[in-house]
Amino acid sequence: MVPIWRFPWLITSSSQMISAKDVPATARILTVSVDGELVELRDGETIYEVTNHCSREVPTLCYDPRLEAFGSCRLCVVEVEGIKNPVASCTTKATDGMVIKTRTNAIEQYRKTLLEMVASENRNLDIDPLSGYASQELGNLIERYEARTDRFCGKKSGKTNQDDKNPFILRDYDNCISCYRCVRVCAEQEGDHAINIINRGFETQISTEFGNDLRDSQCTFCGQCVQTCPTGALSDKKALRAKELPEEIKKTRSVCPYCGVGCTVDILSKGDRVVGIHPAMDGPANEGALCIKGQYAFDFVHHPDRLQKPLIRQKDGTFKESEWEEALDAAAEGFKKVLEENGRRSVYGIASGRAPHEAAYTMQKFIRSNFGTNYIDNCSRS
Amino acid sequence: MTDKEIIAKWKNETAPLLPVLHAFHDRDDYISEDSIKTISAGLKIPVAELFATISFYHHFSRELPGKQAPRVCTGNVCCLNGGTELLDELKSEGATPMPCAGRCDEMVPVIKGRQVLVGKNSTSLKCRTSPLPIPNPGNSEECIFRYIREENRSKLDGYQRNHGYAAMRQAIESSPKNIRDIITESKLAGRGGAGFPTGLKWKSVAEANGTPKTIICNADEGEPGCFKDRAIMDHDPHSLIEGMTIAAYSTGSNRGFIYLRYEYPETEEILQKAIDEAIQNNLLGKGILGVEGFDFDLQIRRGAGAYICGEEGSLLNSLEGKHPFPRNKPPFPVTHGFENLPTVVNNVETLASVPPILRKGPDWYKSLGIGDHAGTKIISLSGDINRPGNYEVPFGLPLKTLLHDWAGGAPEGKKIKAVTMAGLSGGFLSKEDLEVTLDEPSIKSKGSFLGAGGIIVFDNSRDMVKVAHSAMEFFSHESCGKCFPCRIGTQRLKERLSEEDSGLDALNWVKEVNEIGEVMKATSACGLGIAAPNVTDSLQKYFPEAINDHVNK
Repeated sequence: MVPIWRFPWLITSSSQMISAKDVPATARILTVSVDGELVELRDGETIYEVTNHCSREVPTLCYDPRLEAFGSCRLCVVEVEGIKNPVASCTTKATDGMVIKTRTNAIEQYRKTLLEMVASENRNLDIDPLSGYASQELGNLIERYEARTDRFCGKKSGKTNQDDKNPFILRDYDNCISCYRCVRVCAEQEGDHAINIINRGFETQISTEFGNDLRDSQCTFCGQCVQTCPTGALSDKKALRAKELPEEIKKTRSVCPYCGVGCTVDILSKGDRVVGIHPAMDGPANEGALCIKGQYAFDFVHHPDRLQKPLIRQKDGTFKESEWEEALDAAAEGFKKVLEENGRRSVYGIASGRAPHEAAYTMQKFIRSNFGTNYIDNCSRS
Repeated sequence: MTDKEIIAKWKNETAPLLPVLHAFHDRDDYISEDSIKTISAGLKIPVAELFATISFYHHFSRELPGKQAPRVCTGNVCCLNGGTELLDELKSEGATPMPCAGRCDEMVPVIKGRQVLVGKNSTSLKCRTSPLPIPNPGNSEECIFRYIREENRSKLDGYQRNHGYAAMRQAIESSPKNIRDIITESKLAGRGGAGFPTGLKWKSVAEANGTPKTIICNADEGEPGCFKDRAIMDHDPHSLIEGMTIAAYSTGSNRGFIYLRYEYPETEEILQKAIDEAIQNNLLGKGILGVEGFDFDLQIRRGAGAYICGEEGSLLNSLEGKHPFPRNKPPFPVTHGFENLPTVVNNVETLASVPPILRKGPDWYKSLGIGDHAGTKIISLSGDINRPGNYEVPFGLPLKTLLHDWAGGAPEGKKIKAVTMAGLSGGFLSKEDLEVTLDEPSIKSKGSFLGAGGIIVFDNSRDMVKVAHSAMEFFSHESCGKCFPCRIGTQRLKERLSEEDSGLDALNWVKEVNEIGEVMKATSACGLGIAAPNVTDSLQKYFPEAINDHVNK
């Protein structure tokens, strides 16, 4: 929104609509009119970005703000004065003085028809939210536009690849709408180029090289394709294991415990079980990206092998379960012995990247003050 | 050539992917997985991306018998004239169908390796040169076809016997701006169908920042029922080369590509010979005609069977070795074209018109049209007509004059029921709308357009719903799959035109077809999706009773 005080000559007593053309070019502030509202424009912005400043909620399916605008779903079309056909707002740059209409009857009807066409090629619109971060996008839009799902019947597109034997990514292309967000995120964000678009037209299909399983491709299982998929065609196999649990999904904001990057995550839980991880699109370090560990390696939380109590190694090599008091005494004993026999430079500390910040701090304090050396490091550096 | 030699030959060339793929395809008759891996490593393209890009092109085989297996045209004209039967006949040789291969004046074309055979059954299949335009039956003056029927015209001698390269010699005596002004004044406009003023395009490229600049000739004549560019290139290749070189001179471009469709293998050889001759005679290459700094490197790039590559954004992506989806516009190729640099993309006919215009002047060219219309247009006429072929008509000529007086009307005992416009993209004209004149304003007033100038004729024995179905089958086969309205819409329209029961009553059939059509016309990302509904619109306009029968069957 443009503060109206910048344009005193436009302040009128009536609530009449104002057009960007009423603002003289000498004002040197680039503006466009969005549905009659004057909106400030930063140079180089697309129409879609500008409409976001004023919360127009223009619908999209192929759009992911992290990716280069693609312009394939055509849901974001808007009317621009002086241009005959509606333009895709995601790929069209806004220019000073543009007069934009985002929700005329005609435009809304196109969107509804497009959604009904998309629904007609899709087999399943009821997607479990555990499937992925963006998995509800299509369903939500169909609801918002009250689009019917029984029109334009005909051949379904896509071919499921559910027997891809990887443990992480479910590839059910029966639900694919060919927005290619997965292909683009893999190329543009991850740089893996593991998947691409084969064939053309209604026969297009997402495929790895030679149609191999993901394990035999360049895929690193970062899961970004899953999280950007707007239909659940790609879904999180591990999270879906918890599909039948009755509890609501709860999201808890946290930081990935693995390496030093500090990716922001939303931990999904049902009751007291961690069931999945979503990357945080607003995470300052990762902007929605995660790696295979941050995305999928959370099983340790509820794993039966997970240590619940300290173990002390016995002389014969076996372990004895103990209480913390006893274990800490044993550890202190050991450190003292090493220090006496081999000197202070014989101890080197490597803190676990999985340890929280406070523990990492305590660890370096422990090495520096007890042994008087800087022999301290963290596993995420190695 | 070995893998290594092929890669080494092309690796440092501009636009190397298509020639490398063709080299492997020509050598092995198919592109194997190992070849894809080799090319991927050699040209530094990710394997999955390369695999996907290859799958986009209809004519690249990924298994044997591959390239040597016959590809039989079952396009919109040929399927009504024995194409389907011929395909069945050749099935034992591994024959596969292909969309319109641009030989509608002499059916049925079959591509086998690098040969085009024509004939209506397997015994009559023969390899022969493509037909020349029929001697001008009207009394109108021609621009492009003026000398095309002269002997030896495709060779440099023959070309020079009738003013060949005179326009270029004239051009270098003049300033580039002056040339552009002449072209602008002549009102020459894009003959590929879009009709953008050529002079303005050249001016935009000349004035755009960034070098090197590029001239691209769009010779991907993929529109069904269009075969005019083939005639020019086969019989008058130097006129295209001269036109391109003049374009290069007047825009300051020093590299050029002819993007030639796969279906014209002989044309590639003819063009290559002509280019070689021109280079030997200092008409191409460095310091052309002794003018220092006037360099123009012209190369041919062969497509591989994708109609959409005639769309300039797709064409540019294809040349650059990318997935051939159309590009988002703006920016336009004049500023952000080949390799994101200023680029002229002109059709063959447009470029071939340039030399005569320069020689005889813009007023002469304008005067060729009838009334207020400037210039001429080549019409490729095919289907149920006595004399199919290419005709250079003055803009403004009544359609009926062309159909009846020039081309002899419908075959004996039949009547013309409908014609297509712009190949298939303009949909049909029929009934009283056959009274149009051949110029955009007249045809556009009927909801169609002249476009690239392909006109397919259907007589009263044809089932127009079937014809429309075959048209929509083409569009859905060629839809690139990028934008939703076209990808889904062409498929759904095809299904509604097919003989299979759509389960819809007449009311809902019309409602759905029109709603899909509306959304395609308004929101498709390129011309394919915008134009395809012209077929269903015009079918409803002229043949509502046929639709009724179709739905109630």
